[in-house]
Amino acid sequence: MFAYVMRRLAVAIPTLLLLIIISYILMHFAPGGPFSKDREVPAAVLANLNAKYGLDDPLWKQIWDYLYGIVVHFDFGPSFVYPDLTVNQLIAKGFPVTLTYGILSFLLAVLVGVMLGVTAAIWHNSWLDYLAVGISIGAQVLPNFVMAPILLLIFTLWYRLLPGGGWSFSDPTFWIMPIIALATSYMASITRITRSSMLEVLGSNHIRTARAKGMPERRVILRHALKPAMLPVISYLGPVFVSMITGSVVIDMFFSTGGIGKSFVDSALNRDYAVMMGVTILLGTLTILFNLLVDILYVWIDPKIRY
Amino acid sequence: MALLDITDLNVSFQTNDGTVHAVNDVNLSLEPGETLGMVGESGSGKSQFSFAIMGLLARNGRATGSVRFDGQEILNAPLKTLNRIRAEKIAMIFQDPMTSLNPYMRVSDQMAEVLTLHKGMSKRDAVTESIRMLDAVHIPDARGRVRLYPHEFSGGMRQRVMIAMALLCRPQLLIADEPTTALDVTVQAQIMTLLAELQRDFGMAMILITHDLGVVASSCKQVAVMYGGRIRETGPVGPLFASPAHPYTQGLLHAIPRIDHDGDELAVIPGAPPNMTRPPAGCAFEPRCPYAREECANSRPVLEPFADARSRACFVPLDDVLQHRLPPPPAPQHVTQGGQA
Repeated sequence: MFAYVMRRLAVAIPTLLLLIIISYILMHFAPGGPFSKDREVPAAVLANLNAKYGLDDPLWKQIWDYLYGIVVHFDFGPSFVYPDLTVNQLIAKGFPVTLTYGILSFLLAVLVGVMLGVTAAIWHNSWLDYLAVGISIGAQVLPNFVMAPILLLIFTLWYRLLPGGGWSFSDPTFWIMPIIALATSYMASITRITRSSMLEVLGSNHIRTARAKGMPERRVILRHALKPAMLPVISYLGPVFVSMITGSVVIDMFFSTGGIGKSFVDSALNRDYAVMMGVTILLGTLTILFNLLVDILYVWIDPKIRY
Repeated sequence: MALLDITDLNVSFQTNDGTVHAVNDVNLSLEPGETLGMVGESGSGKSQFSFAIMGLLARNGRATGSVRFDGQEILNAPLKTLNRIRAEKIAMIFQDPMTSLNPYMRVSDQMAEVLTLHKGMSKRDAVTESIRMLDAVHIPDARGRVRLYPHEFSGGMRQRVMIAMALLCRPQLLIADEPTTALDVTVQAQIMTLLAELQRDFGMAMILITHDLGVVASSCKQVAVMYGGRIRETGPVGPLFASPAHPYTQGLLHAIPRIDHDGDELAVIPGAPPNMTRPPAGCAFEPRCPYAREECANSRPVLEPFADARSRACFVPLDDVLQHRLPPPPAPQHVTQGGQA
């Protein structure tokens, strides 16, 4: 098991390297650059800027310098658009925000989703089932860019209960709407996956055995059915967790939370190469880590899986 | 008093194609320590019969009639009552040992929970007792293996684990639903010997559900033959096999391949079992019965005693069946082996 984890981590390094190189090349060939503005910049100024950021070097040297900076100094370079900020600073500022509402949102989605799904499966074809499925379909068809303005309308404009934007680590009222808006559609998917997987498990032979052993229904569900029913849910949750903690442009836009979701999109629009690369690497690393975590969880749940 | 007394048991299922009548008007009683063989082909309702006794019918299933265990009505009893009877008084083993054990739990946990729940034992004592029971079903190195997961056992060993688990509380009745179907022949024999041995040691009654007539002949005293959800013939195993009094029983026995006869042809009962969504108005076996007569298609025969401890449900005169006096178009057809089976 330990050897397996080490092996997976070793494979992660070339994967990340490849991700960086391919992203860099793609970015390089995209038209425009960080300094192409509406107003023409004098050629001499542009040449100076390019020289300052090393953009006049050959591509291989740019990539080499970039990688060198990361590996040796853990330095992801300066932002091309905000001259007084480095990428490290930008991420250090935005990521904690994203992480906070991302993790809470994830917990909310998993808790509510699994509970609704299990409830629906246990009382299959009853009003509880229809209610749970109804809620989940409702949540599914309300994507976050619809959910966010609706929440703002209700809680900020009509009832004036919650602040309509901004972020504060000390005041959780700022967190509530971003968390709900981000969680709903994920919660809906988790409900559906949990429900169908639970239904399948409840119909399986070993559950019949558990009932024939006189196990109370609560124990049948919690001890015998829940674990296998969670397998498909967990493989879905790995990538979902990464995309939730790396933030959402929509959330950052509607609630002005200042997370890295917005930085990522801004950087792409502004051709802020360094920020874009920084966020890409962050995303890639997290994805690799959490896929590994899911595989480890699988071993823990299903004794038939051995590496 | 009989240990198990079943009167007018009916089981039906609501499906999208209509109501399926899986078990119809079954009457049975079983004395303590007695073994009853229940035979019939696939879809004859024998498994649903056993699930109904245990209250394990699927959600769309409905059972009516009466099942009294030790004088207590258990059919459609509240789950609380049933959970005190399941495993403790009536235990069950299932057809497919590959999937009937929980693949995500250690055998020790699966077995011990029966004892901690029903007997209030500590986890430690429960595991010790489980090991003793695994020894009793001849699992070598039970102490070492109890911590394993089901997939680390072979099929035969898993069925032994199932049996050991069923016997933990020393039940008065064991329902074995095709316990050997999924196993190969040598293992089948071992399991049947084991069951007989355990039954003697523990003095429990057993309902053995199977389509294997050989198994019934060697391990049961009483037999009930089921077809289309109804019992067609019952009686002590010897006379019933020696002189089957129902055309279906006769067909079943005739269809057993015999190694001492010329081997290239396999006798079959022509036709297929009835669609239980729309059961025939008359005898369900009438379309396949070589003895069928007019009344068979129109009215239903009921189970009637005809000899010592034997009953049958058939309109055809007993002597005609016993002496194979067929009305014109004759005998069961023959199909070449390897053709449709």
